[in-house]
Amino acid sequence: MSLPTTKQRQPWRKFMQTQVSSALDTTKIAGRPLRWFLSGWRVGIIWLIVAAAVPWVLDTSLQVTAITIGIYVMLALGLNIVVGYAGLLDLGYVAFFVIGAYTMAAGSFGFIQMANGDTVAVPDFPFWILLPAGAILAGFFGVLLGAPTLRLRGDYLAIVTLGFGEIVPIVFNNVPFFYGPVGISSQPPSNIGPISFGDPSFPAPFYYLTLTLVVLIILGVISLRESSLGRAWVAIREDETAASTSGVNLVSTKLLAFGLGATVGGIGGVMNAAFTTSITPKDFSFNISITILIMVVLGGIGSVPGVIVGAILLRFFDVYLLGQVNDFIHGSPLVADSGAPLHVLAGIDFNTSKYLLYGLILVAMILLRPQGLIPDRRRTRELHGQGVSSETLSSVGTVEREEVGEEVEGIGAEDVTTYTGAGSDAQGREG
Amino acid sequence: MHVLTLADTSGIGLFFQQIENGITLGAMYALVALGYTLVYGIIELINFAHGDVFMWSTVVTLAVVQAMGITGTLTGPALVGMLLLLLLIGIVVSSGLNVAIERIAYRPLRRAPRLAPLIAAIGVSFILENAAQLWRGSSFVAFPAIFPGGGLQIGSVRINYLDIFIVVLAVILMIGLDRIIRLTRLGKAMRATAQDPEAAALMGVNIDRTIVFTFFIGGALAGATAVFYNLYIGQVWFLTGFQLGLIAFTAAVLGGIGNVNGAVLGGFLIGVIKSIAIQYIPSGFQWSDAIVFAILVLILVFRPSGLLGQRVAEKA
Repeated sequence: MSLPTTKQRQPWRKFMQTQVSSALDTTKIAGRPLRWFLSGWRVGIIWLIVAAAVPWVLDTSLQVTAITIGIYVMLALGLNIVVGYAGLLDLGYVAFFVIGAYTMAAGSFGFIQMANGDTVAVPDFPFWILLPAGAILAGFFGVLLGAPTLRLRGDYLAIVTLGFGEIVPIVFNNVPFFYGPVGISSQPPSNIGPISFGDPSFPAPFYYLTLTLVVLIILGVISLRESSLGRAWVAIREDETAASTSGVNLVSTKLLAFGLGATVGGIGGVMNAAFTTSITPKDFSFNISITILIMVVLGGIGSVPGVIVGAILLRFFDVYLLGQVNDFIHGSPLVADSGAPLHVLAGIDFNTSKYLLYGLILVAMILLRPQGLIPDRRRTRELHGQGVSSETLSSVGTVEREEVGEEVEGIGAEDVTTYTGAGSDAQGREG
Repeated sequence: MHVLTLADTSGIGLFFQQIENGITLGAMYALVALGYTLVYGIIELINFAHGDVFMWSTVVTLAVVQAMGITGTLTGPALVGMLLLLLLIGIVVSSGLNVAIERIAYRPLRRAPRLAPLIAAIGVSFILENAAQLWRGSSFVAFPAIFPGGGLQIGSVRINYLDIFIVVLAVILMIGLDRIIRLTRLGKAMRATAQDPEAAALMGVNIDRTIVFTFFIGGALAGATAVFYNLYIGQVWFLTGFQLGLIAFTAAVLGGIGNVNGAVLGGFLIGVIKSIAIQYIPSGFQWSDAIVFAILVLILVFRPSGLLGQRVAEKA
């Protein structure tokens, strides 16, 4: 890629500038007030303070909810690297979640089961070793899966990842080593001095652990986005051929997206196992892959604040609001009695029909607001088929897509791609 | 899931019995695979919801049978009438759903980035599955065995009449599809659109109508398969479409996606491979889905154009 300019060497400054300037941009982006409120580094600090206050203001059950929200924020941010940054659809993201979770559980449980049913004691490792181990292992499998498949076209890749997401839980289900369908228990993180992470009545330490990791991952993915690797991802997302001719190594760039996304998924898995302390292969279904995808699409594909909000909204709805709604409806006098007018609703468990709603959200978003609730500016323009103006992309060699020709019976003329030569890449090669 | 009809539990007889089972299963996979391959051939979209469209026909035909109070085997005119009715309902439900999905979810996204319609398709699949779960619950529901048992015994291989019915009808449908694609004006329009939508449009082909017709045909094949499947497997479940859809998609890819003959070949091959794998691999049933996925990954990695496909290069 390009030689970094001074501006690019300081991703933080770049981020603040773009975020703040976009927040002050009064003309272009629909939903601007919401965006201003939810993004930008100042707001990030306010959010952090709010998040840090959670254990002081909310009761234990809501703190538990907040922890699972945090885990899903990690997962959504990880998937966003693959789907949002690099534009590769991964439908089997749960595979990396499950690999992280089993690393944690099997690594800390201390016993494995042989094929004949005997359990054998093995060394157990502390959480603090298993966390990086799970991350690395998941990243390794991400690369392992990606290496042969990433040269496939996008939709084939989606199916292969889906297959991988299905196979991994099947493997854990059928291998006696990890107790098959029974699953395996995990240990909570070991105490640091007087701080205990495994006390269900006092989840605050675990919450702060989760929050710390979430913040680190947020900082990581923002830095990645502004790095040369991040710009290479954008380039292949927008036009693979053009990116490749500009000197982007497609295979290694995609592999890094896949591997890094998987690594974050592995961290989420380790945290999940450490928190729930009991996992079975059934916990890791295709539904989870899709739920995480919906979080990304809902919030805004490629948009870090968007994805965080998407994950928070959906997960809060899932673990907290939905149960409340269910209880409220089932407990309401209009429904509860057998003669009540809405008694038919009593037979419906809203907890199990939530995926119907998720599907509706996914389709509605992709049809009506594909850029998500808090859009990534660049992505918005891609989705609306507009050219990306050279001023916003002064540092990126980019390809401008122009619609040329007339519509013929509903099928648009093929996009004609032309180099704008806006960036240092194209110019550097010409010179 | 399906009950193996074992006459001989050892040796070569068992092997041929598994081939027979595989061919029957494969006929159904092939019909569903055709739906994937036709749509992919025309608009290069993996119609992720196709398997769930199939599932909805299994669910609705079950509801019809239950509503009519039929619980046992039928014979004579009653059987023929019932089969025709179920096939009609299955076809109407699936083709109607498929056309509606195209209109609502895919057509507005035809000019969007490639991944958008695929994500929409996944969302539709999710909606269909969970709507079915809401209606019928999440457990298996038995479909009454309305088709009479009995069959032919050739050596140690038993061929049920039902298997013959399914394979013969499936082959008739495949030949019919082949005739439609080769000989009718709409078939010609489909081939033209698959080759080059723009040029086809310039030659006066109504692209929208051709695409709708393609979804209709794919849905109709899936609807007929749903009836066969209900008779053969006898279990209705809201995730059937997801499982069978992935197997059929694998079959379409194995044959070369976009290639009609390839989908048929792939369907039969996957059917046979799956039944043999279930028999001969230890605890093969638990692994059978993983085996199918492994086949899919291997084909995509080593021969993405499939057995009969030609188009290898990526269309940008």
